[in-house]
Amino acid sequence: MDILTNLMFGLKVAGEPYNLMVAAAGLILGVVVGVLPGLGGANGCAILIPVTFVMPPVAAVILLSSLYWGSLYGGCICSILFNIPGEPWAVATTFDGYPMAKKGQAGRALSAAFFAHFCGAVLGTIALTFFSPLLAAFALRFGPPEVFAVMLLTFSAFVGLVGKSPIKTLVATAFGFIMAAVGIDIVSGELRMTFGLTPLMGGFNFIVAVIGLFGIGEILLTVEEGLKFEGVKVRMRWSDITSTFRDMRRYWKTLLLGSFVGVWMGFKPGGATPASFMAYGFAKEGMPAEDREQFGQGHIAGIFAPEAAAHGAGTSAMIPMITLGIPGSPTAAVILGGLMIWGLQPGPMLFVDKPDFVWGLIASTWYGNLIGLLIVLAFAPAFAAVLRAPFAILMPLLIFICAIGAYAVNNRMIDIWYMMMFGVIGWLFKKLDYNMAPMLLALVLGDMAESAMRQSMIMSQGSLLIFFQPPIALPLVIAAAIIGCWPWLAPMVRRWRGTEGKASAGH
Amino acid sequence: MTTKSADIVVAVFLLCLGLVVGLDSFRLGSGWGMEGPKAGFFPFVMAVIAVAGCLVIIRQAMKGTSSVKGGKPFVPAGGMRPVLTVFIPACGMVLLTEVVGLYLAAMIYLVTYIKIVGGYRWRTVLLVSIPIPLIFYWVFEKIFLIPMPAGMFGAQILRF
Repeated sequence: MDILTNLMFGLKVAGEPYNLMVAAAGLILGVVVGVLPGLGGANGCAILIPVTFVMPPVAAVILLSSLYWGSLYGGCICSILFNIPGEPWAVATTFDGYPMAKKGQAGRALSAAFFAHFCGAVLGTIALTFFSPLLAAFALRFGPPEVFAVMLLTFSAFVGLVGKSPIKTLVATAFGFIMAAVGIDIVSGELRMTFGLTPLMGGFNFIVAVIGLFGIGEILLTVEEGLKFEGVKVRMRWSDITSTFRDMRRYWKTLLLGSFVGVWMGFKPGGATPASFMAYGFAKEGMPAEDREQFGQGHIAGIFAPEAAAHGAGTSAMIPMITLGIPGSPTAAVILGGLMIWGLQPGPMLFVDKPDFVWGLIASTWYGNLIGLLIVLAFAPAFAAVLRAPFAILMPLLIFICAIGAYAVNNRMIDIWYMMMFGVIGWLFKKLDYNMAPMLLALVLGDMAESAMRQSMIMSQGSLLIFFQPPIALPLVIAAAIIGCWPWLAPMVRRWRGTEGKASAGH
Repeated sequence: MTTKSADIVVAVFLLCLGLVVGLDSFRLGSGWGMEGPKAGFFPFVMAVIAVAGCLVIIRQAMKGTSSVKGGKPFVPAGGMRPVLTVFIPACGMVLLTEVVGLYLAAMIYLVTYIKIVGGYRWRTVLLVSIPIPLIFYWVFEKIFLIPMPAGMFGAQILRF
């Protein structure tokens, strides 16, 4: 089979000692970054991008994707031991993880979470391996109108399905696109929205935005809430791992369902958070009554389901990133931005032009998740100790590291100021329910979306009908319209049906 | 300030920003040019969406149908102080970076913050603040050859 030959080739590329070393380094950094408040996978990748300039692209993408897997693994340490979800999709894990940790079963909870992650990762990686080549082959037929339609679908999914306030998500997305347009217009060469100010001519870099919005902003939120990092002490014992195997045999359906929900939802942008809640809900519903009461007080299946879903979603978020050039999660967006910086054109042509890159990445996902599991199982207590470092020491160090990352992208001093500005924006937006993930995505994809739109308009000589042309663009645009308007359609549909269905909240 | 007024203030600010962008795009030409849409077309559409969206947000906030709870104070009591104690020194570090470069600015920042805000002993303060920027200096400038801002005088002071 073609895919298997390619996979073997990829395994050889990713298995080179240098690449394996890079993967391990990425994983360890990723776990640390995932554990720390104010630094997530997106941020870690953004800070590391300048370091990847000195590497070949394959090693660079392996470093960043490994950091991503590591941060997914690391996130659950924070939520289980400290009751602080590092990422929104880890919220569901705190329901049962923290109670278990308080009951003195921290080791068992952590080991369950790690193995759940691994299950989600395996299913996600299978999807990544076998589904992406097919999707890429299909996407090769896309012209500018289809590319634009896919983008439209992506952003309308954010507006319609993710976040508490659809209208604020829309506004945030628009500003993301506006920020992407600041500077020199690539088509006409005109200066846009610079107002005669030299610093604005270079535009806004998405890496700086990531570091500000998700790094500095998150730090400000953390200190405002005055979070105390008083975690439960943990020791991993061999018996914790063996008991996890027993639990896994018992709740294999929950695990499989969680992973499946994750992979399915993660494919869509912003799907990880709803996936983890859905998986938690499904796991609870599917239990006998006496088990159901245990949920929320420390039921092992309440850890299995959301964690498998979160990692599955994180992994399958790479599928649209690598095939269509449309990232499914903020971290995937940063990796995509890295791709552009390394001089690769994201999209289906990657499978044709750079098979070593694509298959090296896919194969390293297999290695990375396995090595990641071993690393977190072996060193979980050490990673948890990072969080016990006093905040008054940790926090200024984080800001220093963020400043390094922001400066290194373009060697521009103004970027460090932008980082601080984005920090304030991130803090305000988070408090007011503006969704930052689509804003970031718009900033990354801005140029691509705009040129796709302009090329289509040139093709059609100004007629908007080109976006409604069958067979590919039309269904995508219709789907985008329905999904984007869903928050307003849903009440109408409910009224029309005359049922009082449960309010479909955005998470 | 209540969350409601903060919500409105932010939306009004974004509205103004959207208007400015819209006007500038209009100046560039938001219509059809010689061959295809002009440079201002795409930003103009986005500005229109942003302005319209901000109007809805303001209306929602006024009517109290916003997703954020309007009545509570935007920053809980005692929350602003820690935010400012983080933010102002951090800005100070960036300002210092313009003068003495990032590594020296970071050292000064770390020493001041950990000593004054954290209240740690001098031994702890120095053990963290001096070696860590030096390690970063070595890793970035010497191994990865990624230069950091040197400010006006940084290059004269850090000479190894």
